[in-house]
Amino acid sequence: MIMSLSSALDKLATFRTNNSRSSQETFKNASIVLKSAKQLGDDGWAVLEQLFLASVDIGRLDVADECLKQLADRFPESPRVDVLTGIRMEATEPPDVVLQYYGQLLDAQSANAAIWKRKISVLRRTGKIEKAVEELSQLLDTFYTDVEGWLELADIYTTCNQYIPALQALSHVLLLAPQNPFYALQFAETAYTAGDLPLALKTFLVVVDMSERDLDSPEKKPPVGISVRAWLGIKLCSRRLMLNSSPSASNTPIPKSLNLIEELATERVLAIYSTKGTPRGKAAEGKDVIAGWISDR
Amino acid sequence: MSTNNAVSLYLDPQIRDWVLFPITLVMILVGILRHYIVLLLQSPPKMLPREALREQRALTRSQVLRSTSANSPIPPTYYKSISRHLSDAFVAGTYLKDGPPKEGDAPKLPPNPMSDPAAMDGMMAGMKTQMVMMVPQMVIMGWINFFFQGFVLIKLPFPLTLGFKSMLQRGIETPDMDVRWVSSLSWYFLNFFGLNGLYRLILGGDNSADSSRDMTASAFGTPQAAPGQAQDYNKLFKAEKDNLEFAEGVYCWVGEGVEDRVLRRYGKI
Repeated sequence: MIMSLSSALDKLATFRTNNSRSSQETFKNASIVLKSAKQLGDDGWAVLEQLFLASVDIGRLDVADECLKQLADRFPESPRVDVLTGIRMEATEPPDVVLQYYGQLLDAQSANAAIWKRKISVLRRTGKIEKAVEELSQLLDTFYTDVEGWLELADIYTTCNQYIPALQALSHVLLLAPQNPFYALQFAETAYTAGDLPLALKTFLVVVDMSERDLDSPEKKPPVGISVRAWLGIKLCSRRLMLNSSPSASNTPIPKSLNLIEELATERVLAIYSTKGTPRGKAAEGKDVIAGWISDR
Repeated sequence: MSTNNAVSLYLDPQIRDWVLFPITLVMILVGILRHYIVLLLQSPPKMLPREALREQRALTRSQVLRSTSANSPIPPTYYKSISRHLSDAFVAGTYLKDGPPKEGDAPKLPPNPMSDPAAMDGMMAGMKTQMVMMVPQMVIMGWINFFFQGFVLIKLPFPLTLGFKSMLQRGIETPDMDVRWVSSLSWYFLNFFGLNGLYRLILGGDNSADSSRDMTASAFGTPQAAPGQAQDYNKLFKAEKDNLEFAEGVYCWVGEGVEDRVLRRYGKI
């Protein structure tokens, strides 16, 4: 398929701004761009970097080496190229060598966040979780506003079943991005897993409150998108809280209107699966399961 | 028109070709040259060490916490622990670059900018830019004054009031010449202030060719970027601690009463 140069460039620019990984597609587009236009001006270097990352991702190391060589020739001593060199090393070299390389770079420029993060990712990948957490905490102590870093820290804690520290990390994420309901949902689900049901219930409700804020009459339509998950979460929490009120680690009080919440959640959850005209198959199957689960008190 | 005719001057077209155009051309070229020289002179921004960056950014932590405190996304226990932790750290000076101040230490004087090499570099960069701006302008002005003093270069195609006389006829001390005639020195000043639009067209919006802008800026930069006036972070941290306490006073969790809000939206209560 022949794609025009401009559409390929547009696509690459969208990938760059959206930070999407789509490596195969990036590789295809960037190859088109580099074949048909030798001189791109300043945009060309960004495309080269993109092509480099994509080709490392899909294992075309020959292309990656070529890109890296051109970038290194054009920008000697650039910290950004240093990071790329490190990524290229990660592809083939043993982790110890790469760590040593990153360590050297960090000695020279201790505040280079990109290299620091690569180092942490290598540490985590090679199973040195403790060291990774330590480094990541230090990084976040310096670069507090790094939302991705906090999410990564929460993720590490979650994989180690350390839900309370994970919640603490997520609370920083919430502070930094209070407008994003997905982070609140993650917080709620982590709280649920940690066994802090009242807190989870409240946060699920916050998610619903946030995502349905702009709807005029929410009771007319079944919940969509993120609120599906949130309503299911509310149903789970309120059901378990009605059976036995578990203590909350964060001293969150159980809402007084728990019964009403439970009823409403049941209604909403059933509404999700009762849309007319849903295709048979998976959805219908899900409906039976949900109906069975709800009636099973 | 009769008065105009009475004192009408006839300009030699040679003046146009050998004075008016050269002055304009030289000024444009000098501006472009200046842009590139400034680009060459700019030293790459220095990377701060980790500790300095941490000190600089410590305040954002409490600002982030405070900015949402009236409708905070995080539950009270978490808010309180973060808030306490921050104010303790501010009091103890954990975030200071050189570590917490020791007991009995004399209060540190702000460092002398002349002795701090890092601050010196920043100041030198400003001075260099300033020099690149000042020297060519002085040379051009000297050149015009030396060769073309008292020249009348151009006649504006529209009438002006007498108030413009000092602006348009600098260097020519005649009380009764029509204001529309522009002297060489005034032409220089008109170019000096008026060429910015042209530079923006040639070099893009972010150019450093325009010298009239630098006249207002001082060599030492704007206060917040001033390396000379190093901020006393210890003092800032102490002040921030009070702000944190205020913020804790207005703190309210967004989850407070959220169940009622949701129920009300669905018409259940």
